[in-house]
Amino acid sequence: MAYRNRPIRGGARRLAGGAWLAFSALGTLVAFTAFGCTGDIGDPSETDDGDGPGEQVASLEAPVLPRLTETQYRNALIHLFGKALPETPVQPDTNPFLFTSIGATTDPLSELGVQQLEEAADAITHLVFDDPGRRAALVACEPSAPGDACVEEFLRTFGRRAFRRALSEDELARWVGVSVDLSGGDAWTGVRTAVSGILQAPSFVYRIELGVPDAGDPTRLRFTGYEMASRLAFLLWDGPPDDALLDAAERGDLDDPEGIEEEAARLLDDPRARVAVQSFFEQYLDLGRLDGITKDPELYPDFTPSLADAMRTEAKLLVDDLVFRRDVDVRTLFSTRRTFVNDELAALYGIDAEGATPVAFVPVELPSDGKRAGLLTLGAFLAMNAHEATTSPTLRGKYLRERVLCTEVPPPPPDVDTEIDPNPTEPKTLRERLEQHRENPACAGCHALIDPPGFLFENFDAVGAYRTEDSGYPIDATGNLDGVELDDARQLADVLASDERVGHCIVKQLFRHSQGRLDADGEEPALDSIHERFELSGFRFRDLVIALVSNDSFRFVAIPEVSP
Amino acid sequence: MTNRSLLPRRTFLRGALATGTVALALPPLEAMYSSRALAGGVAPEPIFGIFFWANGLPWNSKHSTSAAPDPGFDPSVSVDLWTPNEIGPYTPSTLLSPLAAHAPNVITGLEPKTDWVTGGETDGHMRGFMVALTSDRVNPEGFYHNSHTLTASRESLDQFVAKHDAFYASGVPRFRSLVLGVSPARFHQYGHWNSISYNGPNSLNPPIMDPGQLFNLLFAPPGDATVLERRAKVLDAVLDDYHSLRTRLGAADRARIDAHVEHIDEVQRRLELSTLACEGPAQPPATSSDLLTETSNMADLLALGLKCGITRVFSFMLTSPATTHLFSNIGDVVNDMHTTCHAGQWGAVRDITHYQMQAFAILLDKLAAVEVAPGVTALDASLVYGTSEYGEGWKHGVQEMPVVLAGKAAGRLKTGIHVREVAGNMAKAHVTVLRGLGLDIGSYGFHASETSDDFGADLYTAV
Repeated sequence: MAYRNRPIRGGARRLAGGAWLAFSALGTLVAFTAFGCTGDIGDPSETDDGDGPGEQVASLEAPVLPRLTETQYRNALIHLFGKALPETPVQPDTNPFLFTSIGATTDPLSELGVQQLEEAADAITHLVFDDPGRRAALVACEPSAPGDACVEEFLRTFGRRAFRRALSEDELARWVGVSVDLSGGDAWTGVRTAVSGILQAPSFVYRIELGVPDAGDPTRLRFTGYEMASRLAFLLWDGPPDDALLDAAERGDLDDPEGIEEEAARLLDDPRARVAVQSFFEQYLDLGRLDGITKDPELYPDFTPSLADAMRTEAKLLVDDLVFRRDVDVRTLFSTRRTFVNDELAALYGIDAEGATPVAFVPVELPSDGKRAGLLTLGAFLAMNAHEATTSPTLRGKYLRERVLCTEVPPPPPDVDTEIDPNPTEPKTLRERLEQHRENPACAGCHALIDPPGFLFENFDAVGAYRTEDSGYPIDATGNLDGVELDDARQLADVLASDERVGHCIVKQLFRHSQGRLDADGEEPALDSIHERFELSGFRFRDLVIALVSNDSFRFVAIPEVSP
Repeated sequence: MTNRSLLPRRTFLRGALATGTVALALPPLEAMYSSRALAGGVAPEPIFGIFFWANGLPWNSKHSTSAAPDPGFDPSVSVDLWTPNEIGPYTPSTLLSPLAAHAPNVITGLEPKTDWVTGGETDGHMRGFMVALTSDRVNPEGFYHNSHTLTASRESLDQFVAKHDAFYASGVPRFRSLVLGVSPARFHQYGHWNSISYNGPNSLNPPIMDPGQLFNLLFAPPGDATVLERRAKVLDAVLDDYHSLRTRLGAADRARIDAHVEHIDEVQRRLELSTLACEGPAQPPATSSDLLTETSNMADLLALGLKCGITRVFSFMLTSPATTHLFSNIGDVVNDMHTTCHAGQWGAVRDITHYQMQAFAILLDKLAAVEVAPGVTALDASLVYGTSEYGEGWKHGVQEMPVVLAGKAAGRLKTGIHVREVAGNMAKAHVTVLRGLGLDIGSYGFHASETSDDFGADLYTAV
């Protein structure tokens, strides 16, 4: 398998865009090498031995072959036929390493999945072509005989939208031939059948972005304009390119970074981008886990499915506010006092929220002297990273490390019992019971990374309500992050506001999502170059996206090994 | 409708061409089994099924126990309710009692023998369910314990059988296999936790969980031959595009496209067979959130499909590995099952396991209620391999993996026998299954678990 995380040698490139700034935020990170808990993902200090600024080169990776995700497939069908289509079943996505885009480049279709594509193509083409009004809206002319000029013109236009590129004349002739051969003498039957084939063809079902030789550099391939159009649209809209983007590709506008940036800005202004960006954040923040959580009904009678939904909505509104409504430093997601609550959440947080109802979310400013600021003090994070009855400083600390800071936390050793004593002989707070981790040397190394920051959230119970006692004993919510002593999660928020790892982590996750694979070691200079522009923009997410899509790493690929 | 009627015409023709004869009086396997005719009729060809339930068995002293005092383990309470007391013919134990009417064979004491590359791969769940289903280890390439990202090293046993030339020597039915599931509860969003049927690394067969979907798949009215032919033919044009794409790809993507092409071939073949009817219920059953009712719904449809020979291989995932299914209908169960195991709630795990065995019994009941040949039920024809992901869920210990072999395998298998081999190799059970289905297997098992041994001396009928 391969999540394509191995660099292809020989494809190393000098980065466009100037100097690479050495980055050493992790220099302060405490290393726990004794227990194998070095605790970093791609520590840049390891690559900080180059020839100085401007000399760092990023290697390129071989192309991947994504299949359309479920959302992309449905959006592509809507793009072709309009809304009001039946929800035909398709193979579910998987999300290795958090992202469905990575599942899309690795999971093959099952036999049932292929059958479902066939059945969907049959059902949808019947729906559209058996309805004279609907087919007239799709096909501008009325064919008079199988394969006539009307059919050919329609298949040329439709094929371009379906395949996200112009069809070659041979290719068009072949599909027109299909529409004649399988027409049974009826032109509409022929068109319908050809369209059902197009909906199962690899150029529709997969994103064939394999690149072409780059005239300026024989060691790499460049994506064609059409391929760039697809890459932009599937990243920014979670769907296919519109005609305008295909036209831009045809004109050659997407062959240089300036043209790409211009089109990316247009795409970002479209409502579809808001949905796609939300989807990225939901995956990166792992919000899907909120779906299945249950809480002990005796301890938490107010925890309802609607409250879990509200937590998810809150996180989405917060992201939308930072990225689209206000377009500000997206890292403040982890420190802002601004949030959006409905009545259930307002009650959970113990705040007034005028106008909030079960369905109406209103913006609120959390009290400046309160205990909450940033996503890590809100319901979604707190409830998701807790057990049914008790909190989990370990889960919360691990989420902070892995999701927010992109620090790798190794799994527990295989022979260690990971259960903490559920029935202590004398009442203790959870924090005291977790001291086991410190006493057992096999656990101590890693838990020293995750528990001390995890304790900072102890003022919030398993559903995220504020509390001052645990089992009748006063809460001690002090802890530390990499040696910096902190009083509670509120102070952590202030620290995260200026922690360089937060921005680097967002870059890394967006990079993985956009490429449909893990980043390779050799790509670190590319990530840092993207981060540099992100930083210059004041960490605005829109600018991160534009920096990423115009970066060489998004425009070029290594020449893959293709066996004959 | 007999099972013969759904055999593809062109497979017969291919067979005829290959052997140089015009027609075969009896398919070879059927001929082979005629010597083991079951009471009341001609032996049909064997059916292979897998029944999978999550989280193993309630722990007992036969599983590994920690040296440290553990509140979850009390030897006076945590007794073995699974292993029968007798070897050979046995009295059903508490947990086997729901299956008693069908007198399945039980093999106890087995465990994985596969090696591993990194420590995380010894995680009981992952090692356990991969070995139970493939006799191989977790695929070390791309394995990432942190995020529980894992994939199989090879095909699961159902797919090994469904794709084995000898198994379908007499003709491939409309479906090589059916992959079914009941509980939609998921431990993990990543696919390999949500399916027990694999084609190989990264390639899984997601289960059909909706009775309505299964109903449409099996019992849709036969299509018009002209229309079906048109649908099959347009796939030829589609195939041309896949063939030209594959030459431009690296090895991994080429393998994905090759799999896609293979599936299109199957879909084409199936379209040709869709002119034949398979008689089912008038309408699909309503879906139910009750696990036993839903098991009954799915098993009903499966049994009727087997009756008309729509397939001879199925897998039936009651609950997915490490299931988070909440058995709230059972007293004293407040947490999802995986959490219940972790919390050391032995009594709840006992009750849930007993409940899962009731579901297993429903599946066997349904198979016993339809005939695939005069006087021969689908269960008589079947070998249903029942297993789980590890021995016990509390510590995720892989000792004492549960193995049940139900049905008579078209006359090849005895019933009601308990075989015990302490620290025996799980792969030996797989060899027993494969040979029990009439496949000539020299050995099975991978990465230190390969064996040519089977339990046939105890479990096979005299040939």
